[in-house]
Amino acid sequence: MAKPTFTESIGVVAPTSTELSTGARVIKFVADRGIIAFTVILIVYAAIFVNGFASLPNISDVFYRAAPIGIVALGMTFVVISANYLDLSVVAQVATSAVIFIGVSNQAGLAPAILLALLVAVIYGVVNGVAVGFFHANAVIVTLATTFVGLGVLRWLSGGSIFFGPNGGVIQSLGQAKVGPIPLSAIVLIVMAVILGFVLQKTTFGFSIRSYGSNKAATRLAGVRTGQLVVGAFLITSISAMVAGFVLAAFSNTAVSSMAEGYDFQALAAIIIGGTSVFGGKGSVYRTLLGVVFVSVLTNILVLVGLTFGAQQVAIGVLIVVAVSIDAIARKLVKN
Amino acid sequence: MSNVRTTERTTAVGRARTVLARRTEGRAVALLVVVAIVAAVFEPVVFSSFPVVLGRLALIGLVALGLTALILLGELDLSVASTLALSGVVMASVPNLGLGIIAALITGIVVGLINAFFVVVVGINSFIATLGMLFALRGAAFVISAEKPVPLENIDAGIAFGSSLLGPLTPRVLLFFVIFAVLQILLSRTRIGREFYAVGGNRQAAIDVGIPVRRRLVLGFVISGVVAATAGIINTLELTAADPTAGSTVLLASFAAAIIGGVVLTGGRGTIVGTLLGALALSILQVVLTLSGVQVDIQDIFIGSILLVAIISDPSSLRTAWVRLRAAITRSRTRDTARGLTGNAADQ
Repeated sequence: MAKPTFTESIGVVAPTSTELSTGARVIKFVADRGIIAFTVILIVYAAIFVNGFASLPNISDVFYRAAPIGIVALGMTFVVISANYLDLSVVAQVATSAVIFIGVSNQAGLAPAILLALLVAVIYGVVNGVAVGFFHANAVIVTLATTFVGLGVLRWLSGGSIFFGPNGGVIQSLGQAKVGPIPLSAIVLIVMAVILGFVLQKTTFGFSIRSYGSNKAATRLAGVRTGQLVVGAFLITSISAMVAGFVLAAFSNTAVSSMAEGYDFQALAAIIIGGTSVFGGKGSVYRTLLGVVFVSVLTNILVLVGLTFGAQQVAIGVLIVVAVSIDAIARKLVKN
Repeated sequence: MSNVRTTERTTAVGRARTVLARRTEGRAVALLVVVAIVAAVFEPVVFSSFPVVLGRLALIGLVALGLTALILLGELDLSVASTLALSGVVMASVPNLGLGIIAALITGIVVGLINAFFVVVVGINSFIATLGMLFALRGAAFVISAEKPVPLENIDAGIAFGSSLLGPLTPRVLLFFVIFAVLQILLSRTRIGREFYAVGGNRQAAIDVGIPVRRRLVLGFVISGVVAATAGIINTLELTAADPTAGSTVLLASFAAAIIGGVVLTGGRGTIVGTLLGALALSILQVVLTLSGVQVDIQDIFIGSILLVAIISDPSSLRTAWVRLRAAITRSRTRDTARGLTGNAADQ
């Protein structure tokens, strides 16, 4: 078993000296670049064959739906790349942020609401990050526990009621705002992608996250403070979840504690389908953005074609398993 | 090191300490004691309402038992809740009750085999494979049931199933203890059980000594699938209908029971008894909270906090954190020494 070279281990695909068979090369190409091709094929197919896809209202609807889940997925990419599976507590975080954004701003104005939401996001990030980074606890269980606590607190304090923003208020106008034909939320998504992509690809912090994901022991021995690193990854996720909560609340001008159900696994699905490896180390924010586009377009097509919610869930489940299978097979081939 | 251990064993206290150090159920027992004391002080009526506690225990603990066998192998199954829902829907869709139960059990076996296929043959991390199944099976349950609860044809059987057989023992509680006994014997008294621990403890070593690791993994996934399907059957019988959204809280409760019971997620350490104690502590806690009129939301906060404390109070986690803390203190002290601020560091 050949040891991966340094560049390989940090996720950069180095030219391999061993000759791969044609089939192996195809699988490896699909694993590395497939999502781009699939996304383009899907969009072209939908534009030609699916009735009602290539209309402006439909495309802006896709954007509106993709934005909150996409922003969550962008942030969660950091946790996945650091080889910590996922952050389940985004369900609680997005809902809390949305409820604070509307509930508190109704009482005390927008600025205190944003500050409070930020404080809550920092608490989530630090608690998750310290438990995972310093206590080496399993991220799935830690974030499962914080989800329960967080949703419990949220439902208890909010009484489980629905909060409505004032009609014609700032929040509603933000949610409906458009720059040309593009909804503001889609612009927020893209700006977040650019910022987070820069952090992951160009900064020391991003480099450390990627190297920690591929080899924890080596990164620690290299003198990186891995505990703080993990806290950083979870903080980025919670801040993104906070922004997603704002976007979600502004879009519908309402907020309720159950509004982000399923965001945890849907975000992870987008990340995995984008080609970020759940084994850590390999992946990027741009891949996640592609994954988000792919999943949103696919869901939109399935709805337009008239498939039920259940069938959509089956499709997404199968897609996750297929995407990861391709990754796993490609890894086996490269190893041999 | 080994010398120290032999001298320790000669004294009674030392022997007791070695036995205790080997056990993994410490936290479950501690939580149980705390919960029992709280119950004795605030709601002593809990101790006279065994049927309620037992029913709750069977509800929380059943899926956790199957999951424990799989976690001991070092694998996870996130699809248990969806398996529960799907097998219930499959069962209710078959007109004949007996055939329906068989169909539900087969569903559980097939789900276990599919999970095992992806993990063992394709080589995907079990966490992701079962995550995909979580979506796919839930979706399948929705498709089969047309997104509505499916009523059971034979409602009388369901009503009969809910009533008690012997004193406080309903069929659900009896089944729970039967499955507990079977898994306890399998894991602690048979060769297969020892091999489960070996596979979870050190997979490479298990392969090297010739344990059929792949077959043990398949068995683990099938156990988890079948137990989840059994829980689905019981739920369907008791409600006389199959709900495609059933079991959404099962996943958290089962993991919580196993982890509080001292089952280590990386595999190889933990016992079925631990999971039972963990589930018992959680169920008494829930009954106490419910009887004292605490809202469900606040119960969630309690259970989430306990799970968080349980996972970070794992001995190896505490050791890691302690080493880190000491390293951080030493680091800051040396830095302060370099700056000539030793006095401040000593104050800390």
